[in-house]
Amino acid sequence: MSSLEQADEGRRTPALAPRRAAMPGWPLLGRAIARRVDVLGLLGIVLFIVLWQLLTYVIPRFSLPTPRDVAQRVAEDFVLADYLVAYGLPATGLFDSMLYTTTNVLIAVAIGGAVGTVFGLITARFELARAILDPVTMTAGTVPILVLAPFFLIWFGIGRVSSVLLVVIYVAVILYIYAQRAADNLDPVYEDAAYTLGASPRRAVWDVLIPGTVPQILGGIRIALAGAWGLEAIAELLGSQHGIGKIVQVLAGSTDILGIFAALLVLGVVAVLFDALAALLFSRLAAWSVAARTSGE
Amino acid sequence: MQKDVIVATEISREFHRADRQLVQALARVSFAVERGQFVCIVGPSGCGKSTLLQLIAGLLLPSGGTMAVNGAPVTGPGSDRGMVFQKDSVFPWLRVIRNVEYGLKCRGVDKAERQRIASLYLERVGLSHVAWAWPRELSGGMLKRVAVATVFANGADVLLLDEPFGAVDYVTKRLLHDVLLTLWSEAESGARRTVVFVTHDVDEALILADRILVMNGGRLVDDLAVEAPRPRTTDSLLKAEMVRHKHVLLTHLGLETRAPAAAGPALRVAP
Amino acid sequence: MNWLRRHRVSLLVLLGMAAIWQVLSMIFTAEAVPGEPMVPGWQIVFSRTLLSLADYWQGGLGVPSVASGAERSYPAALLSIVSHSLDTMVRLYTGLLIGGIVGTALGLAVSWSRWTRRLVDLPVQFLRTLPLLAMVPLFQLWFGIDFLGKVIFVAYGVGVIFVAGVVNAVKNVPQIYIDNARMLGASRRRVYTTVILPSIFPELRATILLSLGIGWAAVLGAEYLGAQSGLGYIIIYSEQFAYLDRMFLVALIFILYASVSYWLFARLSAKMLQWMPRAGRITALG
Repeated sequence: MSSLEQADEGRRTPALAPRRAAMPGWPLLGRAIARRVDVLGLLGIVLFIVLWQLLTYVIPRFSLPTPRDVAQRVAEDFVLADYLVAYGLPATGLFDSMLYTTTNVLIAVAIGGAVGTVFGLITARFELARAILDPVTMTAGTVPILVLAPFFLIWFGIGRVSSVLLVVIYVAVILYIYAQRAADNLDPVYEDAAYTLGASPRRAVWDVLIPGTVPQILGGIRIALAGAWGLEAIAELLGSQHGIGKIVQVLAGSTDILGIFAALLVLGVVAVLFDALAALLFSRLAAWSVAARTSGE
Repeated sequence: MQKDVIVATEISREFHRADRQLVQALARVSFAVERGQFVCIVGPSGCGKSTLLQLIAGLLLPSGGTMAVNGAPVTGPGSDRGMVFQKDSVFPWLRVIRNVEYGLKCRGVDKAERQRIASLYLERVGLSHVAWAWPRELSGGMLKRVAVATVFANGADVLLLDEPFGAVDYVTKRLLHDVLLTLWSEAESGARRTVVFVTHDVDEALILADRILVMNGGRLVDDLAVEAPRPRTTDSLLKAEMVRHKHVLLTHLGLETRAPAAAGPALRVAP
Repeated sequence: MNWLRRHRVSLLVLLGMAAIWQVLSMIFTAEAVPGEPMVPGWQIVFSRTLLSLADYWQGGLGVPSVASGAERSYPAALLSIVSHSLDTMVRLYTGLLIGGIVGTALGLAVSWSRWTRRLVDLPVQFLRTLPLLAMVPLFQLWFGIDFLGKVIFVAYGVGVIFVAGVVNAVKNVPQIYIDNARMLGASRRRVYTTVILPSIFPELRATILLSLGIGWAAVLGAEYLGAQSGLGYIIIYSEQFAYLDRMFLVALIFILYASVSYWLFARLSAKMLQWMPRAGRITALG
């Protein structure tokens, strides 16, 4: 039907549109680089480091180590930080400790994410479940989960279980809220359409509810992941024999600010890396989602 | 096969508003639709036409009266009644061709066969070139064509369309009419699907329908037979009979207050 | 009465949880330390536990402290609860206020120009992703474990949220409002004050609620890791002796404060949003 295809010509959306026109007045190479790399962003980071360095001229080195000091210390302690043995800890370095912390965080996010999502979706569709679980989770959402940390330390000891459980609850509450909201906001037209095409209720859940809520759920996971690092770290700070938090705790005892900077830098970089990874992965998984409708628009 | 595909008997439907007030969306509506008919339901906003369509589809159940399709009372949605919605209902998370296949997949048709059928209908609506695209890459009019292809591919006996072309521009709308009418009329007279098409656009109804049901305030107020020959063109709308129909419809919609010049044999006023 | 009816399931759930706790306390009669049950039943919580909180009262106001030899008494217990609660809340709200104001001001200043906004974007994101709670020891070493240290820590945590929130809010102001204003002849400064500022209030509300949560976590974390007073201090101090019942009671009090503050903030900010001028209107072209 050529008339239809003709009509389509004017309708191309950006995805099918020709490439963005090059920026006028810039040299060719400059244009190519500017398109691929966020120049201002990088400049911002460079400026940040410069500012840091400048501050170290004003603030005593003991309180504010220079960027170079920190980088050096990270390199030294990466594999093995000998002084830790002096505190009665097993021989370990920044890398191993970070590995411990990372493992805990990832396990907790996986478990908490699954639990929170499932219950969030269920309560979105079943009123009784919502009436029972909402008050529990809403209260848990306003109160810092940290309040449970000392209890877990007594009940479960100072091993992995306490800190992982803490983060699991944190992540579950966040995902519960996100999943429930996503299911509530999913336009009912999709489920209706599925039913008129002959889908059974089970199919409607698998083919409509879950794919339709995936983008928001992934967004919730990213947010929960960001907060999980700090919670795990402080749980380790409070009572643990391993992990980055433990290292910070030990170093704080001997007022080793440089060491703390090094440990925090490693933690921060890992957190940022995983966040970037999650952003990339999730935008791939939800690539279709620009046009997903929420009801009421 | 029964002659009457859809039979509505004294259908009523009430809703509770947010402030607990009762709204009577439909009050004792009765009609019957014959097999292979193209029926348009026309009426002003809030007259209950969308509600009526949802009752036929089974997405709503009546508060009173009965709705029967193919002799059996409607208890819920099913693949014998396909629906094209007012909003975009194309699943954004499936590629276009997978969307068209969806109903067939629910019925267990095997992969190769359903892809064949889906490709066929996509070609009929002129979208073969975007069969593997994502819905977000398509314009509103194209998505409507996908929806039409989907319900036809699924082989539904009864097609229900709820103001499907309201949001597209005039040119696209005329093209969509062609698509719909071609797909509908290509089956032989006896095997044609039955279509119920809700709209507030009087011209659209006159171009498409064999029969126009007029609704107002939750009641069926008129039932016009449109006997103009197909295919209908711009000129068809200018014929005397069509102009008369249009006056009747516009009067029902409150846009004209003149009584129709002569009550011809085509007018049957419902009780 | 209407409120009760609407929330009857929630209330039932709360009562149910309390009942389950009581049942659990009768099942798990284990004691971490002789005399201190792991799962204290309600009868213990409101009598013996409450009394034991008197231990944390330093004396004064006519009620002598336990440390100086006096017996535990309910007035002492109540006074200790009030005093420690005040300590915690003053730290929190001062930090919130400072962090909120400074953060908003910085955020607005940075978003004045598109270039500065894009420059600052990545570093702010990095600071935001840096786990706040892990930095407690750092702030303690810098600013001490007293009032100042805690307030600055809370202010930092909250401030970063506000800067990021304000910058994001300004970035999301629909271009059409700005275009509309420019077309009507508004200067850049006028556009900023009459279009952008009102437009960001709704998102600011979300930022405020978020920062409240962060604030409570920050103050609790800071008190866990080195304090001489405050609710967090009591909890962690009791934890070292495995006084689970005291931990439980104080945690309950803490949860109560946090929930109430959340509810208050939500209501107040909704009210404020009601009379805030809506975006898109130019007030008096002149």
